[in-house]
Amino acid sequence: MRLSISHDTTYHYEDQVRNSIQYLRMTPHDSERQQVISWELNLPRPVRAQVDPYGNILHVLTMDEPHESIILGARGQVEIDEQRECEHEDQSPLPFLRTTRLTEADQALREFAQTECASRRDRSCMIDLMNRLNAHIRYQPDVTDVKTSAAEAFASGKGVCQDQTHAFIACARSLGVPARYVSGYLYTDSSDHLASHAWAEAWLDGAWYSFDVTNCLTRAERHLKLAVGLDYLDACPVRGMRRGGGVEQMHAHVEVSPTRVQVQQQ
Amino acid sequence: MTRTFYDEMYLANGECRPHYREFARWLADTPDELLAQRRREADLLFHRAGITFTLYGDDQGTERLIPFDIIPRSIPASEWRVVERGCIQRVQALNMFLADLYHDQRIIKAGIIPAEQVLANEGYQLAMQGLNLHRDLYAHISGVDLVRDGDGSYYVLEDNLRTPSGVSYMLEDRKMMMRLFPELFAAQRVLPIDHYPSLLLDTLKSSSPLDNPTVVVLTPGRYNSAYFEHAFLAREMGVELVEGADLFVRDDKVFMRTTAGAKPVDVIYRRLDDAFLDPLAFNPDSMLGVPGLLSTYRSGNVVLANAIGTGVADDKSIYPYVGEMIRFYLDEEPILKNVPTFQCRKAVELQHVLANLEHLVVKETQGSGGYGMLVGPAASKAEIENFRARLIARPEAYIAQPTLCLSTCPTFVENGIAPRHIDLRPFVLSGKDTRVVPGGLTRVALREGSLVVNSSQGGGTKDTWVVED
Repeated sequence: MRLSISHDTTYHYEDQVRNSIQYLRMTPHDSERQQVISWELNLPRPVRAQVDPYGNILHVLTMDEPHESIILGARGQVEIDEQRECEHEDQSPLPFLRTTRLTEADQALREFAQTECASRRDRSCMIDLMNRLNAHIRYQPDVTDVKTSAAEAFASGKGVCQDQTHAFIACARSLGVPARYVSGYLYTDSSDHLASHAWAEAWLDGAWYSFDVTNCLTRAERHLKLAVGLDYLDACPVRGMRRGGGVEQMHAHVEVSPTRVQVQQQ
Repeated sequence: MTRTFYDEMYLANGECRPHYREFARWLADTPDELLAQRRREADLLFHRAGITFTLYGDDQGTERLIPFDIIPRSIPASEWRVVERGCIQRVQALNMFLADLYHDQRIIKAGIIPAEQVLANEGYQLAMQGLNLHRDLYAHISGVDLVRDGDGSYYVLEDNLRTPSGVSYMLEDRKMMMRLFPELFAAQRVLPIDHYPSLLLDTLKSSSPLDNPTVVVLTPGRYNSAYFEHAFLAREMGVELVEGADLFVRDDKVFMRTTAGAKPVDVIYRRLDDAFLDPLAFNPDSMLGVPGLLSTYRSGNVVLANAIGTGVADDKSIYPYVGEMIRFYLDEEPILKNVPTFQCRKAVELQHVLANLEHLVVKETQGSGGYGMLVGPAASKAEIENFRARLIARPEAYIAQPTLCLSTCPTFVENGIAPRHIDLRPFVLSGKDTRVVPGGLTRVALREGSLVVNSSQGGGTKDTWVVED
């Protein structure tokens, strides 16, 4: 499936921002399951692309002239291999056993994982875990925020894809299964779900397998991967700081749609 | 339990060791009144100079004077040369380990260190994987903590490769002794240490490929326990002392704000932990770091000393492997001994530790500063049981070692002079060459019988002499 993405984010500030800096992970890269056909970032200033510690494409946007808004645009086309079950990688998965504040398993999460999986460490147990977590943390926007930890979301039983993903990662790691956070785009038929999405990957049998807890999907067939990391903070599309500016208003407009590929007849 | 301690000044038969004879004669000849007066003078001078230490775990944020003892710890030069070679060997191997770990990982492939123990370690930084550093140096400034057991042999207690502190006390203690007792330094040859700041600056400059790089000292600020030292070293080196807010990143370069505008910065001697360096890459709540610093660092446009990710090499769970590292990378036998270490992550060793808690020292693998450790022979029943529970809950977070005797050195206490336990932290500088100024910081546990020398735990300091014998 070929997905077309158009993503515009506008930040408006109440006052002038004196200077700002953003880490942007808004550019996908090729992998076994996705091939970038075209991609273009529109930033207020030209910025050189780098590769971050997790292999993601990173742009660091620094603005030191006073500004009242920032407009970030990304658009392009990516071919997704819907049949692919997993992805291989040369890097050791072991660093993804480490916990972070957002993905630390507390007693409740550890017991939850233990009860579900006992001595099993295979894909089917991870699928069971995903389904159970989907039922336990019900999808509900606006009750959690970017600082909510896996343990907090699990205790409240509510959250968004980010929280469900963190909880899954926390459980997997507590079982000794390397797991990581993925941020990207999801194509859905319905328009009530956000196209910006998060899911998890767990390392099983020498490859990364996807687990979309929010949608109970075990294959990332409609998912475009932007970045991976230990948690949301490592992988999120925009992480920034600014001096001045007062209250911020953010507007995001994301369109993800399948593209009809013209088969050329020769 | 009777234990024999090695005393630095006296032989077991009470006779003075040769390298202390000159000092002993002076001590006997100097009237008590004069000594008492000089000690008061020292306190006053340290206080005026603002050489204090903020105590953690104290709500008042108490600034306390680190007690200074006027009886020096003295090491014969011949003995020192062995210690010096041992420290250099060790730090070279640790730097080679870090370079290997963040590149080819030969030591893991060779089966010497288990992959999970390093790669899943909190001190391991993915951000360093594959990054090339000038001269392949990670720990530019290291502190090696040494103690002596009953027979006088030196043991490495731990390596400090993150932001080792204490060198300012080493320098100030010497200045104080020379000021109070100049006659002592005329009577015998004590090797000088006052060139440390210029060696440090030289080391920092040589960490950059640039010819004459701009160096700054980055401090977490005045509330940090070692703030005095940060300011002291910046002043001694003649470089700027900055806080995170004084620096900023623009287009992949680091600048400092000055009254004359933005000035590029090439080398940052950072006295800030990895987690606080860049709020956009690490701890997002850090107000102490510089947003964008990590990406600039990874682009090779600024040097951090020490490098990010050195913590994986001085982690107490990695410590047991340092001897193997020396053999693997240098093809040499370790000159300095390691303390035998039980890794509680291993079930058999944990069992042994739990059965012998009252004889052992238990430490957190990630701990420092003497917080969160158990000294079995000195602990109460309740403290031991508390640690037992912690060990059972998280065995991988602890190691245990036999309680070393720790050598003693005569020290002024309330009732005159009495032996107190000491350790030694030489500072190793790695640049074009690997160098150590003679001696280091001697810390002394002032409470009778105490083996904990950390200044945060009631320790004091002594001037450390290396004397030609």
